[in-house]
Amino acid sequence: MTTSRIELTGIPIVKQLLVSRWLQWSLVAATLPFFVLAILTGLAGTPAGSRNFGIVFVWIVWWALLILVLVPLAGRFWCAVCPIPAPGEWLQRRALVQPREGGRLFTLGWKFPRRLSNLWLQNAAFIAVALFAKVILTTPFVSALALLLFVTIALVTSLLYERRIFCRYICPVGGFIGLYSQLAPAQVRVKDHALCATHHDKTCYTGNERGYGCPWLVFPAALDKNTYCGMCAECLKTCSLDNVALYARPFGADLLTNNGRRFDEAYRGLMMLAGAPLYTVVFMGPWAEIKQAAYAVGSPNWWGYALGLLALMLVIVPGIFFACAALARVIARVQTPARNFFIDYGYAALPLGLGAWAAFSLSFVLTNISYAWAVLSDPFGWGWNLFGTADWKWTPYLAGGHPILQIPILLVGLVASIAVALRTAREQHVSQRAALPIVAFAVTFTLGLVWLYV
Amino acid sequence: MKKEIFALSVICLILIVFPVALFAYQAWRTNEPGIRTIDLVAHAPASGGWIPDTINVNVGERVRLRISASDVVHGFEIPALGIAVDEILPGHVEQVEFVAARAGRFAFACTRWCSVDHWRMRGVIQVIDPANPDQPPPLAALPLYQQMKIDIDAPHPAPNVPAARPAAARGARLDLAVPDDLRNQSPSDVFARLRGDPALKANSDTDLWDAVAFAWKSAAGDAAIAHGRALFARDCAACHGEGGKGNGTAGRNLPGLAAMQVSASLMSTVKRGPADFTDASKMLGASDVLLQGKILRGGMGTGMPEWRTLYTDQDMWDAIGFLRSFVFDYGFTK
Repeated sequence: MTTSRIELTGIPIVKQLLVSRWLQWSLVAATLPFFVLAILTGLAGTPAGSRNFGIVFVWIVWWALLILVLVPLAGRFWCAVCPIPAPGEWLQRRALVQPREGGRLFTLGWKFPRRLSNLWLQNAAFIAVALFAKVILTTPFVSALALLLFVTIALVTSLLYERRIFCRYICPVGGFIGLYSQLAPAQVRVKDHALCATHHDKTCYTGNERGYGCPWLVFPAALDKNTYCGMCAECLKTCSLDNVALYARPFGADLLTNNGRRFDEAYRGLMMLAGAPLYTVVFMGPWAEIKQAAYAVGSPNWWGYALGLLALMLVIVPGIFFACAALARVIARVQTPARNFFIDYGYAALPLGLGAWAAFSLSFVLTNISYAWAVLSDPFGWGWNLFGTADWKWTPYLAGGHPILQIPILLVGLVASIAVALRTAREQHVSQRAALPIVAFAVTFTLGLVWLYV
Repeated sequence: MKKEIFALSVICLILIVFPVALFAYQAWRTNEPGIRTIDLVAHAPASGGWIPDTINVNVGERVRLRISASDVVHGFEIPALGIAVDEILPGHVEQVEFVAARAGRFAFACTRWCSVDHWRMRGVIQVIDPANPDQPPPLAALPLYQQMKIDIDAPHPAPNVPAARPAAARGARLDLAVPDDLRNQSPSDVFARLRGDPALKANSDTDLWDAVAFAWKSAAGDAAIAHGRALFARDCAACHGEGGKGNGTAGRNLPGLAAMQVSASLMSTVKRGPADFTDASKMLGASDVLLQGKILRGGMGTGMPEWRTLYTDQDMWDAIGFLRSFVFDYGFTK
């Protein structure tokens, strides 16, 4: 399926930037001080999360930037900037900028087990973070330890395995960003597939003197969606035929085809969909008992919360969706297994999910972003006042008006989801009525969120 | 190669020089010659209370406490040194400075109702004389209730209870002569003495109770009662209730309350939970000394904290002066 696209690398300065070996290093070097500060403040700063840079800038500012700006507009661009895998990658390459002469890497270079080469590890990591989210997102020390744990895992996997195994198969945020990046209006793709077919060296995957083979284990010629493209632009550097480009494209272009749809991705999409109302309840809801249970890790109440979370994310929401998919199959009157319907229609949950997460994040951010001003001046909570803003009070922005912004976002997600569901029915060559159970699911879910927000 | 060295240098700056600079800046800010800076972090008692909860300083040392809160709003007070911080917001740093002028152990405490166990949130500053570091702190005198051998746990119902709440203002107008050694006597005892005075035979019981109310009010003094009222609001009302009925929110599930052992014979007289200061029988049957004993010793595991380490004698007399207003009408406007 070809969609209209505009080659951004046709603009000389964009092309120059993307093929520069300094680009990724510069971006990481720019984010690294913030990351280092987040860890230091988490380890040594005030335990009060609202006054600690590590909590405020990672889980409020960065999160807002990620969900409200980067993912919807630039897909996995964050993955190109993320400092977490950088130490491992630099060590693996024994170079920070240039390709190492001779190309020998400092790694055992193992292949990642085929059984784990999917989204399930990331799904498990996402669930693990969700289980402890209330603690990780509010307790600076734990947050810093979590970040250090991610860096350590990324480092170790870089030394053991080839390329960026952590980013591709483990990072709990990566799976999240990856699926929703299918909606972004930007993509890295080959210009002409026929030209790739004539290229025997496949330097985009194997690397050459200008760069490394795709760190994400993606063969660019086969790339037809953003899910696993880290937008590091390595393939733009290594393609000796100048056949890879950065494109602007319509929103959600990756969802216009049923090709390459997978059970782990569909299931992940529904897990994340379930996560949005859950996070809303835990972080923004009025139910103190649930908040306390989520925080009291190890207590009987927490176990109840954990079981509820697992049930909701792993069984209830995917289960209800599976039932809807099965009903769609009955309406379609085809012999295709219900599992296939679940997979195909599962992608319709992605716009709904991104809308739900954006709506939650918007309210979360508007409520809490004012903490950032004080934290800028006093990142450790040690009584500094670097920019004179340390005493700026917490002020929820647009308090009471959040639903006015949230509901349109939810509705955009809902409409896009319905459109994807109807298109999926057309792709299956069945009556569009088959999509009705999925549409009903999306509408009900949206109404539930509206009830939560209003 | 030069490019790599440059890139590596920048990363080393970020990973090594940047953190070192941050900590060096903090060390430079907090270290001032001649002042010993101590960081004190307030956590709700369930999360550790004051950390550290024991601070050792030397006599004559100039001390700066940098107090921060990790979770909720706390307060800080070292009553014996006259140091107080009314509000410590989470993540903020409040500083107090003092010179440890004399050796001794000085309790400090949180002064905000930070949690159910707020009253457990205490610590101690030990001021040590370097010339004589093992010198024990001076012994305090025995509290009055012990000197007078008063069993403060024994029931003390008043044999005489007024039909209506005695009013100090009416008592003032009567201008009756009332004994002035009130601390050792219960209001009920004083009433009985007045009732037994032939010169007051013409006065009604109500008159005499009004006179007793006035006597207690004037003995305490308005300023002391006002101070006691502030102490009550800050330290007592959460458990004993704003109206003194023993029905404060924080007093409902006090630790140890359920396990409180009360003998069968006392079941009808001993209340499980914070005392009800509007109970005329108990309040009029208790002398100020007895009440002071209860305040300074605390409830021995019932959840009622001991206040001896935090309150001065005058604080306690002032608090008692106010407590009497729950059974005597002192003319407060609510």
